[in-house]
Amino acid sequence: MKASDEELTALVVATKNPAAFGELVRRHQGLVRGMLNRMCRNHALADDLAQDAFIRAYEKISSFKGTGSFKSWLCSIAYTQFLMSARKRKATERVLEKYKADVEESEAPRDMGNVVDLDRGLATLKEEERIAVVLCYSCGMSHSEAAEATGMPLGTVKSHVNRGRAKLQAFFADAEVMVS
Amino acid sequence: MTMDDAFDARLKAAFAQAVEPLETETEADRFAHRVVKQLANPDRKRVLILGGAGSTGSAIAGTQLESVLGQVQIPAEGLLSNVGFLMGPEVLAAGAMALAVGMVAMVLPRRLA
Repeated sequence: MKASDEELTALVVATKNPAAFGELVRRHQGLVRGMLNRMCRNHALADDLAQDAFIRAYEKISSFKGTGSFKSWLCSIAYTQFLMSARKRKATERVLEKYKADVEESEAPRDMGNVVDLDRGLATLKEEERIAVVLCYSCGMSHSEAAEATGMPLGTVKSHVNRGRAKLQAFFADAEVMVS
Repeated sequence: MTMDDAFDARLKAAFAQAVEPLETETEADRFAHRVVKQLANPDRKRVLILGGAGSTGSAIAGTQLESVLGQVQIPAEGLLSNVGFLMGPEVLAAGAMALAVGMVAMVLPRRLA
């Protein structure tokens, strides 16, 4: 039988077993890398941040109390890594702006299922809206969990999610009109 | 929680589809292997640079210590005057330097382990 996240976490806390932690990484890497990729819109940077986030999680795994899900706890750490990186590397922002411009200049939007269209839709949101939407829809966090992870008030998170969602809905509606 | 309607379902599906290429067995294993390898090999370069900077800082501070400690009044009589030869500025500076270098030597191997 497959061990649960909580069982593996307890094993890592007790024995610092890298193999057990490797299994946790294997299970959640897609989520964390996807989330960071949507947030910073740079694949290589997202992978580096994801690696740092997992290493940080390993170092402070004893602080995971099991009150929320391991997934949410991990996403909070990944979000902190994203914030630290954004503050530290102002130069990266310029690269991301260029990347954003490249995306906007390329072809017209296609069906919503297309990953590029999702990224293009997310690029139309303000940063706080994008972060709130990604945490709630990609990581499956509740509004309260997202508020805790970002340090934003709950009401602000709700507003960002609702505004972001409305913008995405409008973006994809426009995209479908263009396709049909 | 997020609102539960058709658009929400589509949005969640789009996010799920976006991470699908990362969820393949090989990709997941490759990434997990990279992280576990990194756990076994911490960033030695960073630790060595920090250790080097710490040692250099200690050495520079040490060169200044002699003039600072030169102002210390050494008792000329009483019990303490017997250990006065140990309280010369050069000896105190050397002691402080030895302490600093000893601490670097204690901390660095732990960080590198």
